[in-house]
Amino acid sequence: MTRGNRILLSCIYWAFVLYVFVPLMLMILMGFKDSKFIGFPIKSWTLDWYLGVFADAEVVSTLTYSIAIAVLSTLISVVVGTWIAVLLEGRRFLGRAAIFGLTILPALVPGIISAIAFRIYARLLGIEPGMGAIIWAHAVHNVPFVALVVMARLSTLPKSQIEAARDLGADPIIAFLRITFPYLIPAILGASIFCLLLSFDDFVRSFFLGGYEPTLPVLIFAKLRSGMSPEINAIATVALVLTAAIGIWAERFTRRTNKDTNS
Amino acid sequence: MSNDTTTRTKSAGVAPEKSDRTFWGWLSVWTPYTALMKLVTASPRRQFVILAAFPILWVLTQHLGPMLQMLRVSLTDAYPVAPGVEQHFTLDNYARFFGERIFWQPFFRTLIFAGTLTFCTLILTFPVAYFLARHVSRRNQLLMLLLLLIPFWVGEIVRTYAIMILLGNTGAVNLVLKWFGLIDRPIPFMYTSFSMGIGIVYLTALYMLLPLYSALEKLPKSYGEAAADLGAGAWTRFRRVTLPLTLEGISSGCTLVFLISTGFYATPVLLGGPSTTVFSETIAGFFHVAGDEWPTGAAFATIMFVTAMLLTGIFQKLMYALRKGDTK
Repeated sequence: MTRGNRILLSCIYWAFVLYVFVPLMLMILMGFKDSKFIGFPIKSWTLDWYLGVFADAEVVSTLTYSIAIAVLSTLISVVVGTWIAVLLEGRRFLGRAAIFGLTILPALVPGIISAIAFRIYARLLGIEPGMGAIIWAHAVHNVPFVALVVMARLSTLPKSQIEAARDLGADPIIAFLRITFPYLIPAILGASIFCLLLSFDDFVRSFFLGGYEPTLPVLIFAKLRSGMSPEINAIATVALVLTAAIGIWAERFTRRTNKDTNS
Repeated sequence: MSNDTTTRTKSAGVAPEKSDRTFWGWLSVWTPYTALMKLVTASPRRQFVILAAFPILWVLTQHLGPMLQMLRVSLTDAYPVAPGVEQHFTLDNYARFFGERIFWQPFFRTLIFAGTLTFCTLILTFPVAYFLARHVSRRNQLLMLLLLLIPFWVGEIVRTYAIMILLGNTGAVNLVLKWFGLIDRPIPFMYTSFSMGIGIVYLTALYMLLPLYSALEKLPKSYGEAAADLGAGAWTRFRRVTLPLTLEGISSGCTLVFLISTGFYATPVLLGGPSTTVFSETIAGFFHVAGDEWPTGAAFATIMFVTAMLLTGIFQKLMYALRKGDTK
């Protein structure tokens, strides 16, 4: 581990940080440009594009639509994912490996194929394209992430606690509600936030399963196809700030709860 | 945590004394509830069935169902079936794929593209992961990793748009090059395989970085030191110690990135041009033009899925063999 090596590696790391941050910074900056045309250099600045976003009824209704989809699909994913995790963790039975494989399948299917498969299946189930279809597709797609996170947490639950509860007369349901479930709450919250972000950011499933009302990424995509404008930068920045803020908060939250439970 | 739970455990399910009648105590003696519990817990077998029925039903109908239905539709000549029309079994949809160049060319382009980009991502993120895992103190590791995580919370479309602004003719890169007097007129980066590559690597880098980081982080530093004591140079240490012991991380990172990059739709549409059409655009074409050709689209999606699964499966087997061979 020579000194030169370390300096070179740290340069690579910071170059990577720049690669990851600079495009987003430029995009945020461009939203302040006082002109209809995207491009550098920026000669005069304005706040109008950002103020316009919140005055635009279409953007505001799209935002609430996206948030509603994210919340409802997350609720389904969390219930189903937790149930699957409780079944799979620490139990041996015939076909367990197959069920585990099927559980993570939606996470492995490449985006476009998953969207197409959901589109075809929605027709079979009789779900019309629109809010219900998007919620359903997001919910199914996010179940594997919940199941994996909850299984990881469940594997660290001391078995003795459940046994003690059972010895004291608790039936399986009360033991679950009073011992297992409280223990799982940090994992469930972490997984929920992950699902919310996945759903809010998802484009391909929302695009193929959506009706006439677009979700936020679909709206940005549609606007981009008809030309770039600082207006899009402002909308995209609102989405960015929202997701990044939730992400950072979740990161801090999970770290804090992990510290609490470890001590 | 422990304190809290033990106190809770003590009272769990115990028939309550009259003075502190808790909800749980009340529930455990409530007749309808006890009757239900008797029914549920009559035998371990019944208990298991009640627990397992819903998850099994869900994964079969919701996870496996869409894939099977896609396969079924791909083998028919009409879907959705119009009234009065009969549906027939056919392999024509698969035959179409091999018959026309505009179909199989994007397919192979996608595979080559995804493979190349996976390799580029690996080369790009390995030093970053290595630096984080080996040269940074434990405390800073998490902070510096979090710094990289933030942009990845942002969605696919927003990040694709950011790349469009970076690489456009009046974009930041061209502006900087002009400032330094390196070019007179802007370089047309956009709508080429270059812009598409930059965009896709930008979207997938984290899925490579995290598995690499966790593999490198588990590797004890003493291994490298031992090798150094035995006279191994830096390159030999890397090739004989670090690399073989991180193969597992490399293999799962590459698999993830490959699968994800074959599935992108919006990014190639926005960043690519007519000469870089990828297979996801071909597949999507069957679903949103007038006169939907769903069965053909389903067949093409099936071809893509099976190929991607086979390739990553073979890749993982190879990496596994390599790992076993090296540790012996």
